Amino acid sequence: MPLFGKSQKTPQEMVKNLKEAISQISREDKKGEKASDDVSKNLVLMKTLLYGAGDQEPQSEQVAQLAQEIYNSKLLLLLIQSLHRIDFEGKKDVAQIFNNVLRRQIATRSPTVEHICTQPEILFTLMKGYEQQEIALNCGMMLRECCRYEALAKIMLYSEEFYNFFRYVEVSTFDIASDAFSTFKELLTRHKILCAEFLEANYGRVFDQYQALLNSENYVTRRQALKLLGELLLDRHNFTTMTRYISNPDNLKLMMNMLREKSRNIQFEAFHVFKVFVANPNKPKPILDILLRNKEKLVDFLTKFHTDRSEDEQFNDEKAYLIKQIKELKAPDEH
Amino acid sequence: MDRMLDLDEDAFQHPTIMDDILPEDFLNDDEPLGTLWTRLDSDQIIYQPQRRKATMVGKYLKGETLGEGSYGKVKEVLDSENLCRRAVKILKKGRLRKIPNGEQNVKREISLLKRLSNKNVIQLIEVLYHEEKQKMYMIMEYCSGNLQEMLESVPEKKFPLWQAHMYFTQLIDGLEYLHSQGIVHKDIKPGNLLVTTDGTLKITDLGVAEALDYFQEDDICKTSQGSPAFQPPEIANGLDSFHGFKVDVWSSGVTLYNIITGKYPFEGDNVYRLFETIGKGVFTIPDTGDPSVEDLIRGMLTYDPVKRLKIQQIKHHNWYRKKISRTTEYVMPPPLPDSDDPLRCMTVIPYLEAFHCGEEYDEEEEYEDGEFFVEQPGPSGQGAAQQPGTPSPKLKDKKSKRKKIPVRKFTFGSCKQQ
Repeated sequence: MPLFGKSQKTPQEMVKNLKEAISQISREDKKGEKASDDVSKNLVLMKTLLYGAGDQEPQSEQVAQLAQEIYNSKLLLLLIQSLHRIDFEGKKDVAQIFNNVLRRQIATRSPTVEHICTQPEILFTLMKGYEQQEIALNCGMMLRECCRYEALAKIMLYSEEFYNFFRYVEVSTFDIASDAFSTFKELLTRHKILCAEFLEANYGRVFDQYQALLNSENYVTRRQALKLLGELLLDRHNFTTMTRYISNPDNLKLMMNMLREKSRNIQFEAFHVFKVFVANPNKPKPILDILLRNKEKLVDFLTKFHTDRSEDEQFNDEKAYLIKQIKELKAPDEH
Repeated sequence: MDRMLDLDEDAFQHPTIMDDILPEDFLNDDEPLGTLWTRLDSDQIIYQPQRRKATMVGKYLKGETLGEGSYGKVKEVLDSENLCRRAVKILKKGRLRKIPNGEQNVKREISLLKRLSNKNVIQLIEVLYHEEKQKMYMIMEYCSGNLQEMLESVPEKKFPLWQAHMYFTQLIDGLEYLHSQGIVHKDIKPGNLLVTTDGTLKITDLGVAEALDYFQEDDICKTSQGSPAFQPPEIANGLDSFHGFKVDVWSSGVTLYNIITGKYPFEGDNVYRLFETIGKGVFTIPDTGDPSVEDLIRGMLTYDPVKRLKIQQIKHHNWYRKKISRTTEYVMPPPLPDSDDPLRCMTVIPYLEAFHCGEEYDEEEEYEDGEFFVEQPGPSGQGAAQQPGTPSPKLKDKKSKRKKIPVRKFTFGSCKQQ
């Protein structure tokens, strides 16, 4: 017990006080102001308890009690639902508290992950956070921490809310759009097998919407989406998805158009997707037809394509390989 | 400056000048050769400071040798443009030719490394060529040591559980990435796992790795040139083709076994005997005090490659997911062979000094008070303590060891933060 100052609050009291304060926070009067102060104060107390202060290490006994109280009182959901009402510093504190409690581990168990699994509402609310400018980045921080856990990533991937990301990555506020994109990418790449299964199962819906990103008016969206597409297709875990993608002539047409984009960066990224279509040893007829029809033009185009990249041996090897492949293309014998 | 540094480093090789021992005394002394003292009057000394010459490879300033492989030396370098600490693998064409598949392996390694980018896979910064010298320089990320030399530096030849866990999880992450890029490493072992100063593990040496064809559906491989003790039964038994990814799982299993127990699951006097033992696939695990890690090892060293754990299953295994609290026990990379610096401070610094202020200094005046000279070790007694292979000091020995590297500390006290 400290000699001066107030006696230390127990974790139970902290949670109780915080909950009460949050329930009052939306009031317009004096009480609302006081509630807002109380929220901030209690959040700082919690943060200190979890992270320790100065040289003082956090006490595991207290941390355990606080975590238990947070689960019992469903505080996480409440905090996230009222996040927009909490002041600037308080929002950051919420994210820090959330991430700390989430990382909690007892031997092989992650109790917070288990807790969130029983309350997926927490995840969906966080995902919708991208729609509110003032909390978007805080939600992003918490979401990416959630992405590290396969169980949580799975809930998010298979939720309706996931498809909102195709909208979020294009919002006009640049920092929010790029934050949303990094969460989006994390969801689609972090847990290899989970992602591969998801893409296979939801191929149509995902790639329909993905197409829109590739055709976006926004240069950054187009470029990021194209780069991610390349990464996804060239990851062996996504073999099935890749073979499906490169069998669709519309995708080939899109890539061929992107090869001729104004931006050299986009041209270059498109090259890395385009090469997979050509290298495919079992090209379906529609694909082969397009390539055959454009044979001369493609050879000519590729010969002049990014000739200043003389340093990049790999690129030049691949280019030479593609040119050779295209030159050697033959129409299948008609019977 | 030069002279100072030379004395410090070369004290083990050159006789030290001692004024208080007469020649007669030592002639009658039966001490072993190493402790010979020579008396020289100061006017007899023809003073020729051995020059520490600063040499550059491209924009990189060279430091000391970090290690030596069959292809050539690895040296520490400093990027003179952005001051990044790097390592350079120097490959000599002549030497490469004598190694079976040497040139081909290096070529493959470079092309693979160029397209890879992952936290747990070594990054190749650039490749430089020197036509006249017939040399090739591979500039890589700097790492402070590999797991093998760290293991050899401690008597029990193993890591504490938490440290082994920290490295193993990173090994699996790096391996998952390699596999996602269609690359079978084929030579996973402690010697090919580097550690950076912040404890990040980097998989290195893709010399015998194989990149699968994009359109090959399975991971069937036909050749293997990896280290025998880490090869799985299917290779030991000489099967024509095998699942590549499962080879890496097996080798990682042997690696885990090794860094946790300090032993190998399979041993033999020669490769034939070794392969015979591996081919039977029978092994025992010494008690580690942690049944779940033993279970994981058994899963990874499953005889049938089809039943052997997949990377995904390893990541789901309890031991992988387990949180192991850090203890004070910690195995550090040992000092470099010719040095006794436990922190492996940047070895480029003396060369840098030589480069910039080598001649301007009036040594006598600058270092007269000689405070940093006090702990200068004797000619051979101390040197013997640092023979390669002797256990290196752990963290607690740091203080006493530190005193012996006074020059570097004096001039660049902050370099250990690098």
